[in-house]
Amino acid sequence: MTTDNSVDVEGLALARGNFRLGPCSFRAEAAGRIAIVGPSGSGKTTLLRCLAGLDRPQAGTIRIGGTLVHGNGIDVAPNARQLGLVFQDGALWPHMTALQHLRFAAPTMGESEQKALLARAGLGGLEQRKPSSMSGGEAQRLGLVRTIAANPRVLLLDEPLRSVDVHQRDALVLLLRTLCAERSLTSILVTHDRDEALALANDLLVMRDGLIVERGAANELLTAPKTAFTAAFLASAACLPVEQSSNGTAATPFGAMACSGDAQNLRLVLMPGDVAAKPARNGTGPRGEVVACMPQGIAFAVRVAFGDQILPATATEGIRPGSAVELTLTRPARLLPWDNPHAS
Amino acid sequence: MTEHKKPSLAANLAARAPLAIAGAFLLVFVATPLLLLLWQTVDSPQGLTLSAWRELFGDEHDLARLLASLRLGLFATAISAALGLGHTWLSLGRDLPGGRWIAPLGIAPLIVPPIFVAMGFADLMPVSGFWPCALLLGVAHAPFVAVMAARGLRAVDGRGYESALLLRSRGRAELWLLRAILPELLAGCLLAFVFTVADHGVPEFLTVKGKTWHTYAEGIYSRWTRRATGVTFADQQSPVIASVPLVVALLSLLWLTLRLRARADERSVLRPLPLRPLFAYRWPALLVPILYLSAGLVMPIVVLARWALGSAQKVKPMSIDFLQRSFQKAMSEGLPDLLHSVWLALGTAAVVLLLALPLSRRAGRGGRAIEVLCALPLAAPAILLGIGLVLTFNHGPLAQLFGYSFYDGEGFALCGYVARFLPFAVLTLAAQVRRVPLAADDAARMLPRSRLARALYVHLPPLLPAAWSAAVLVFVLALRELDLAVLLPAANSTAVRRLANAVHFQHEDWSGVIALLVLSIGVLVPLVPSLIAGRRLHSLS
Repeated sequence: MTTDNSVDVEGLALARGNFRLGPCSFRAEAAGRIAIVGPSGSGKTTLLRCLAGLDRPQAGTIRIGGTLVHGNGIDVAPNARQLGLVFQDGALWPHMTALQHLRFAAPTMGESEQKALLARAGLGGLEQRKPSSMSGGEAQRLGLVRTIAANPRVLLLDEPLRSVDVHQRDALVLLLRTLCAERSLTSILVTHDRDEALALANDLLVMRDGLIVERGAANELLTAPKTAFTAAFLASAACLPVEQSSNGTAATPFGAMACSGDAQNLRLVLMPGDVAAKPARNGTGPRGEVVACMPQGIAFAVRVAFGDQILPATATEGIRPGSAVELTLTRPARLLPWDNPHAS
Repeated sequence: MTEHKKPSLAANLAARAPLAIAGAFLLVFVATPLLLLLWQTVDSPQGLTLSAWRELFGDEHDLARLLASLRLGLFATAISAALGLGHTWLSLGRDLPGGRWIAPLGIAPLIVPPIFVAMGFADLMPVSGFWPCALLLGVAHAPFVAVMAARGLRAVDGRGYESALLLRSRGRAELWLLRAILPELLAGCLLAFVFTVADHGVPEFLTVKGKTWHTYAEGIYSRWTRRATGVTFADQQSPVIASVPLVVALLSLLWLTLRLRARADERSVLRPLPLRPLFAYRWPALLVPILYLSAGLVMPIVVLARWALGSAQKVKPMSIDFLQRSFQKAMSEGLPDLLHSVWLALGTAAVVLLLALPLSRRAGRGGRAIEVLCALPLAAPAILLGIGLVLTFNHGPLAQLFGYSFYDGEGFALCGYVARFLPFAVLTLAAQVRRVPLAADDAARMLPRSRLARALYVHLPPLLPAAWSAAVLVFVLALRELDLAVLLPAANSTAVRRLANAVHFQHEDWSGVIALLVLSIGVLVPLVPSLIAGRRLHSLS
């Protein structure tokens, strides 16, 4: 078995009815942990299924460890790609016990080894249990060890934490990270949950309408996204439309800002903490109406109705919902393009 | 750069062989006979037979029979709905005394062939004409409604009922429940309607008894038996041409039934229904299941037992001695037919299962066209499918290919029965396949195991309870089949066919014994393995 566990995707495309995926290109380095994030319907699960071989793309190539598994007339069967896929709800077989799941996945593995793997996942003593008598977290852990038992080179994860309750999430995240690290597995996670992505991946690919619109390290995308869409999706930023002015400036509710390019595609991106709210008096700044006000440490988190958007803001005092507030920027806001014109 | 090898051609062929074999069977024994019938309605020495069609459809007798059959279907289905739904509604998940034991008995009357029900009624009262026929067929086909209604009630999320109960009155909650199971209920009613309209055995029996009653399916059969004496094309092809409106009506209903079933399959149970109290009606409600089970199950058995004891013999009272003589006579006169019936039914169940498994896998995973093709024999009355099989294999290229001895042999009868009953197994198993999440299949595809290993360890086990249910259903239906038995040469000597004839010739004594043996086998063959296998086969009920 080759030790190169990288994944290379080049120009992957698929059309199904009105939906179009790609062309998408990206590379996951060996032992890298990447997450594909995006809203529902953005095509991330379809992309994952194409990698797994469960859906057949119409164009593009997929290489795993340098080996061509799809493209140029080749389409390797899913079970020959040496990939493991962990499904949303475990996708367990209802008639099999936990041990039988592992027996099917890894028939050459000894029973003691299978039991040890189950114990490792916190399923010791549940060897003879069927999925119907397991909790969501137990079922998901069984789904994970079933996949790991088959010794894949790359681990594909389709929203693995979705059906797991809050108390079991940490245990499952720890198990996933440990197993991937021990086996130098490359992992590709698909999720629309920012916290899940940050817990399990170092690098993020952001998808929208079937295209990868942005990629980068998780921290970088959170703090300095290159598109307003990424800021809104990952950081819950409010994105306000702006108007083109003369002299290379754009008119925003908080005053004129320098801009380059087409203002129609630009948005004023207001990250949480960028805006402060105080009861409206005689100021001339932009005004909104408080929708909700919740204590947050020594300050207050306020949601302000502003035009047709709800802005996240902070306040130093409690403000009653329905009150008018004046908004000010606490730090310089940024103008970012909504779309990435070079998305692929 | 390295590249993976493609699987070999032999491996690909081996993996697809079961589906290919099942598909070939469908083509030869289902599609070809029915297409041949269709072709014969337009192929004639005069070219298109529009005039012949016009002549036939202008026939007042045909029109009257068609309308009478549709009327019969409606009234019989209403009776089936009242009895079947009444039984299930009052016994499943209610506090009816003994409800736990009574509810699963909803399917039990299916073991009794409609002709036995007719024979039972005929022994108690003079039966002839429309209303007795509607009553008999309504009773005989009520299990379809009972079973489908039970399936619907089991699939309802109890929280929905509880919400309706909290928001509105109990009566409104019950109405909500009735609406929730409407797809299954309608599917059961449509099945009862299709079987009633396509039945030729009971109307023929009542015709012989009363000489006043004719239905469409019976008309098709009598035309077929007389066609040899016809001189014109219309005379010879009339049974086939005349059946077209009926087949079109049945096809439309079947399409609707499949749509309703498919809609019902998409629901999932989250919490079973709570126990619904009957309050003051607890004991009086028992009358409905008692009436249902008495008419469909107990009464025919009692009448048959009385026959065996000598009730048809007017001179002496019934006696155990007479029963012994009846038994001896049955052994000498009817045992070979009985054994033949059992082997034919067992063979049918086994072959149906082997063919249905690959077909239902494909049908349940998006191959709706296969499901519709498999269901075609349900749309054609059995008597018409029989005629198509006879036309296809008695002469012509397929007869040459299979050899003329095939037509007279057991193999032909077996294939005919399999074609007739394949829909039941495919529909049952396809519904079960759809209940297994697609992700469970995908998970198996991702693991480095062969197709065979996946089929044996992942795909097959969840289907086993449904496969057992389907096999039992097919066994029971094949054991009680009369329509095909009158047409396929090797099936002429089955017990039910022999019984239908024997009763006409006043051989009620040993006929009663044979009929009771048929019913016992219909119960014991499925029940004994279930008891041995234990709870794993509990889905039989």
